[in-house]
Amino acid sequence: MSALASTALEVLEQQLTQPLVASLEVCARCGICAESCHYFLADPSLENVPAARGEALRRVYRAEKDWLSRILPGWTGAEKLTEEGLARLAEMAFTRCTLCRRCTFNCPMGVDTPLLMRTVRAMATASGAAPEILVMLADAAIEKGKNPEFFRDVFLSQMADLEGVLQEKVGDPGARITVERPGAKVLYVGLSGTHTILPPAILFHRAKEDWTLSIFEAANYGVFLSDTSRAKQIAARIIEEAKRLQVEEVVLAECGHAYAALRWDAPNWFGESFPFRVTSLVEKTDEYLAAGRLQLNPQANPDTVTYHDSCNMARNGGVIEEPRRILRAAAAKFVEMTPNRTEAYCCGGGGGLVAQPDYNELRLQGGKPKADQIRRTRAQVVVAACENCRLQLGDLNDHYGLGVRLSAVADLVVNALEPPLAQPLS
Amino acid sequence: MLWVFQAVTLLGFAFAAAALIWRWRATAQLPLVRDRATPRGSVARGTLYAFTWGMAPWAKESTRRHALSYVRGIGFHLVIFLDLGLVILSPWWPAWSGPVRDVLALVSGLGALLGIAGILMRRLEPNLRALSTFDDLLAVGLVTLFQAAWALALAWPWVLSAAYLVATVMLVYVPLGKIRHCIYFFFSRRFFGTFIGRRGAMHSTGSAGFASREASQ
Repeated sequence: MSALASTALEVLEQQLTQPLVASLEVCARCGICAESCHYFLADPSLENVPAARGEALRRVYRAEKDWLSRILPGWTGAEKLTEEGLARLAEMAFTRCTLCRRCTFNCPMGVDTPLLMRTVRAMATASGAAPEILVMLADAAIEKGKNPEFFRDVFLSQMADLEGVLQEKVGDPGARITVERPGAKVLYVGLSGTHTILPPAILFHRAKEDWTLSIFEAANYGVFLSDTSRAKQIAARIIEEAKRLQVEEVVLAECGHAYAALRWDAPNWFGESFPFRVTSLVEKTDEYLAAGRLQLNPQANPDTVTYHDSCNMARNGGVIEEPRRILRAAAAKFVEMTPNRTEAYCCGGGGGLVAQPDYNELRLQGGKPKADQIRRTRAQVVVAACENCRLQLGDLNDHYGLGVRLSAVADLVVNALEPPLAQPLS
Repeated sequence: MLWVFQAVTLLGFAFAAAALIWRWRATAQLPLVRDRATPRGSVARGTLYAFTWGMAPWAKESTRRHALSYVRGIGFHLVIFLDLGLVILSPWWPAWSGPVRDVLALVSGLGALLGIAGILMRRLEPNLRALSTFDDLLAVGLVTLFQAAWALALAWPWVLSAAYLVATVMLVYVPLGKIRHCIYFFFSRRFFGTFIGRRGAMHSTGSAGFASREASQ
């Protein structure tokens, strides 16, 4: 056995928890999961059946762990892991599964195929078979966390400029964007680019929130690699920052995987419950509306609006009704896609796929069910509370000629603020 | 002479039970990370849903789409447990009235037909055929044979010895092959229920009747 395969098997052995073994053992191969996968809907071939993907790892597991399979591998389809086999597994896990969990919700057994694919990703990452671009993006974030002073001055200068823009937009020369201010109640963590900072800054200003801005980005590419060590290092930057500033709440930008990572996974990576709340900007905005801290005029957004449920926000995060309450308050006409909520289709860009240009064609093909859904709504605006989803939806918009406009939840809310801004957002 | 077959079947039961208990314990001893994230919903509610309403044919898109196939599977599995009960109670059969035995024979026979339908589906649907291993076919074949044998034994007592043998072979295979998924079902559904309950991502309003929500305003 090659060293790479051996490393991968060591990782598999380490990851054999109760949930993983249950998902490896319980599948009855009934194939009922097939149509729950957006890849299968776009291309109904065997390799796009979730059970077939899971089976690829099960064969390896059986060859190592099942008594009958070790004696008679052909009986159960067991297969020893080879370097070529690992490469095939890795490609499948990184490109043919967006970890959306739609198949899990549709499986009568509850098989967690995304957990199996995460395991394969972890095996591939440890043995050097993960996509280089994802490794590079994760490592770049880790380096940034190690040396924040390198970019602090540039960031502060950018935020000073943005503060001027904020003051013009809200018509208040006293409006502030503070960075890492100790004692603030809320620490907002944006993404790369001011488009994820200005609209929230406007909302925080209007809601009279005591907030400050993180110098880090919420994105966590370690999650896509299923590399807990990298993911922890990336998350640790924000957690340490929040603890140092003694904030009560960390509010994350509209980003599905960042939310899943910091809200749901990080407490388990670090083995602690954090001394602060972790919420999404969507949840926070919903709270502001419920508390009457934001007033909206839905007529300010007269176009028909629909909402795309990010898998990490909805199915994997439970943020399902909040965006709907917001959009009903912020838009004159809100229509649902069918199906929606926990049954929504993945856009096809999840799991880090949107960051892998080599698989653009596959990604666009996998997004066809979502494109069809959008078209059926006849909406003019598609709102998504996830940056990766919006990137993918933008590509689907161009590729399938949907003729829609894409928006974050916050952008639509800012546009509907009552009284209106001194200057429109765009 | 029948007692010999009964004793062998009893040994089969003992082997299957011991091996399944061993597997259950071995799995339960594997690590299970304590979830420290603040829950959004109720784990108890999610778990209850996963084992009850969440198993209903209308609860999931997949089972709505494949309703016939799903109901076939449910029926097939229910008859397995009925037949296992019949095996245990078989020494007392003579005391049962003819009509009771006839009904039970019909139900068992129906289970076997559902099993045959399952085998045909595995052979005829291309993706399902490609997914199936020899273990899959043997497992469903053995269980189908078990149901057929006990249906026949209920109708014609002289088949009983053969039915005991079939039951023994099936019971011995239970922990060795795919049939052992019967214990992992409980682990898997529990983890699914915990996940959706904790994260507040229940199917709830998101499943049945979604079409009516297409236009909300």
